[in-house]
Amino acid sequence: MADADDDEPSPDRRRFLKVATCALGGGVGVAVGAPAVSYLLHPVGRRTVTAAAEPIDAVAVADLGADPVRVPLRARALRDAWTAANDVPLGAAWVRRDEKGGVQALSSVCPHLGCAVAFNKPTGDFRCPCHDSSFAVSGEYRHGPAERGLDPLPLEVKDGRVLITWVRYRVGGSSREPA
Amino acid sequence: MSLGDWFNERTGHRRALHVALEEPVLGGASFVYVMGSVLLFLLVLQATTGALLAFYYSPSATDAWGSVAYIEDQVTLGWFIRGLHHHGASAMVIAVGLHMLQVIVYGAYKRPREVTWWIGVMLLGLILAFALTGYLLPWDQTGYWATKVATGIAGETPVAGQEVQAALQGGNEYGNLTLTRFYALHVFVLPALTFGLVAAHVLLFRKHGATPRWGRSDAELARTAQPFWPDQLFRDIVAMVVAFVALVAWTVHTGGAGLDAPADPSSNFDARPEWYFRALFQMLKYFSGPMETVVALGAPVLAGGVLFALPFLDRGADRSPRRRLLALGIVLAGFAATGLLTFISFQADASDPALAEREAAAEKLAARARRLAKANGVPAAGGTAVYATAPFHRARVLWAQHCESCHEGDDRKGPLIGPGYNDRAWIRGMLTDPSGDAYFGRTKLAKSEEAMPAAEVTGAELDALVEMVYAETGASDVDAKLAARGVELFSEQPCGDCHERTGDASSSGPNLAGRGTVAYLKSFIGDTGQARFFGEKHEMPRMVEELGPDDLQRLAEWIVWLRTATPADVERLDD
Repeated sequence: MADADDDEPSPDRRRFLKVATCALGGGVGVAVGAPAVSYLLHPVGRRTVTAAAEPIDAVAVADLGADPVRVPLRARALRDAWTAANDVPLGAAWVRRDEKGGVQALSSVCPHLGCAVAFNKPTGDFRCPCHDSSFAVSGEYRHGPAERGLDPLPLEVKDGRVLITWVRYRVGGSSREPA
Repeated sequence: MSLGDWFNERTGHRRALHVALEEPVLGGASFVYVMGSVLLFLLVLQATTGALLAFYYSPSATDAWGSVAYIEDQVTLGWFIRGLHHHGASAMVIAVGLHMLQVIVYGAYKRPREVTWWIGVMLLGLILAFALTGYLLPWDQTGYWATKVATGIAGETPVAGQEVQAALQGGNEYGNLTLTRFYALHVFVLPALTFGLVAAHVLLFRKHGATPRWGRSDAELARTAQPFWPDQLFRDIVAMVVAFVALVAWTVHTGGAGLDAPADPSSNFDARPEWYFRALFQMLKYFSGPMETVVALGAPVLAGGVLFALPFLDRGADRSPRRRLLALGIVLAGFAATGLLTFISFQADASDPALAEREAAAEKLAARARRLAKANGVPAAGGTAVYATAPFHRARVLWAQHCESCHEGDDRKGPLIGPGYNDRAWIRGMLTDPSGDAYFGRTKLAKSEEAMPAAEVTGAELDALVEMVYAETGASDVDAKLAARGVELFSEQPCGDCHERTGDASSSGPNLAGRGTVAYLKSFIGDTGQARFFGEKHEMPRMVEELGPDDLQRLAEWIVWLRTATPADVERLDD
């Protein structure tokens, strides 16, 4: 039996249907949207790429001179989301003997926006190929848009080998914080 | 001017909304018409969850399984999103079935809606193609083996079977190109085709309107018409919510889509397709040779052909089901045959206890693979390499290859080595019965004059000697006083005639210093013929060249672990 509304729809009933339709539709939207957002934001605040936290055997002290050399730092073991890989490059260090006879290792990551800096032998300084920041051989800031000098990497010398701990620092800004 | 007016002046959205929403539904809104909207909703849900999955999924033979395991076991609510996508496909098949049933009962494929119907049949094909391509993407056992069957069928296409198969699977064998292909089809090609056809389907539906119940006059239909918005849309939304709640409930109930062990071409696996392909799967059991090809390729073509031809087979203007018994009978027979074959297939599986056992083993393997993947990551070599990350995996492989035949089982030639090896009980047995079967009984040495005689001590003295030998293993629970007493006895007893117990001095028997430690075992396994061990009396082959220091280390660590292990501990390594 058709009810009376089929012939003469009341405005109240129609209004109820409209509100109910929007509410139900919105409910489904939230029920999908809320889990979706937490799913998408899963990597935020998580360390999704992690390397074995140990100093990396980089180079022999005997091979170092006053000019810095670029040494790739490879992780013995790396976890990248689901993958476990071995012998994976993490980054590079510029390593040299400093004036006092010690060893100095600088991250090759430009503290401005993260390009890889290169040593320019004729001028004796580091140059960033992207935005022309330049740094003294000691890593000290010279000029350009960078706001701090190159980031030194923790190191130790053991049995004539330089062991470097890789740290990726946050780029930008004048303070040096691990990313 | 309000913001709405400003916007309307530029977009004309009010008129567009009016056209889209306020068309009259002749004969009134009805729950009978909701399935099309439910399907559209499920399609949008599949697109949404599919896009979400793509944020984490990696279509490569080495990464696919690992990335899906990551979604399942590590990403926040990943199991839920993937579960919705997986079961959403089943929900679509059910909804398509109901939609088609309604259209067929109402005779909605009849003039002038034939093209709408044909597009619908094509969309049915696309949905099944989605299911087929999506099934492989996790690169797990189920997807791999079931899809192997599907591409195998394609390979039996007349004339150019090999070429068709190679084009589908991207080369001569399953691999990266298979996945990238299926992924591209699943994520780009099929959605584009579906989007286009759905748009045409909906536009044609709007052109002709819903097909009202048969036997009502035009005047009556017009009189009882109601607007789509909100009368019909409300009913549509209610149906969508019902479908959604059911889908969520099923997803939560099942714990999501599940994920089998990584695809392993060297394994045995009981390949089963999704439930909606079970009828076809079952049918293939009844045919072989050329007939099999005819059935496998012909049955879907025949079914599609009948559906396509339906508007021609059933041409009368009358839509009353009573006057269309032939057409309804054909469709019903098709549904019934499909249902029956599906039932037989599930029934056959349910009454096969051997299959249940294999499935339980497959489930156990899947759980193990996922546990290892979560704990250790998936090696870059791919999903199946995850097993190699288990504790002592490499050592046990080496053991099986190099050691087992002489140190385990009935045909062995050397001392038995297993759980409890070098613990106190083992040492006690060794001292009291060195030529016993579990010890050196099967060696040539035991049958020679140089065999070790049994220790002639008992009680507290034997305890002390046992403790002395046990202390050499470096175990943490050594009774130092008792061991010291053992050392005193050692020099009083004839033990010292054949055994040194310090440094690396050699004697006629093995030096006992550090016996049972990793360093000792590493050196011992490498070459038992060293002077401080058995010298020229050694019978075990040299391993040091064959295995190298890393593998010797692994074996030594494994044997040290065995000292405190029980048989149950060893079994648990395989869980």
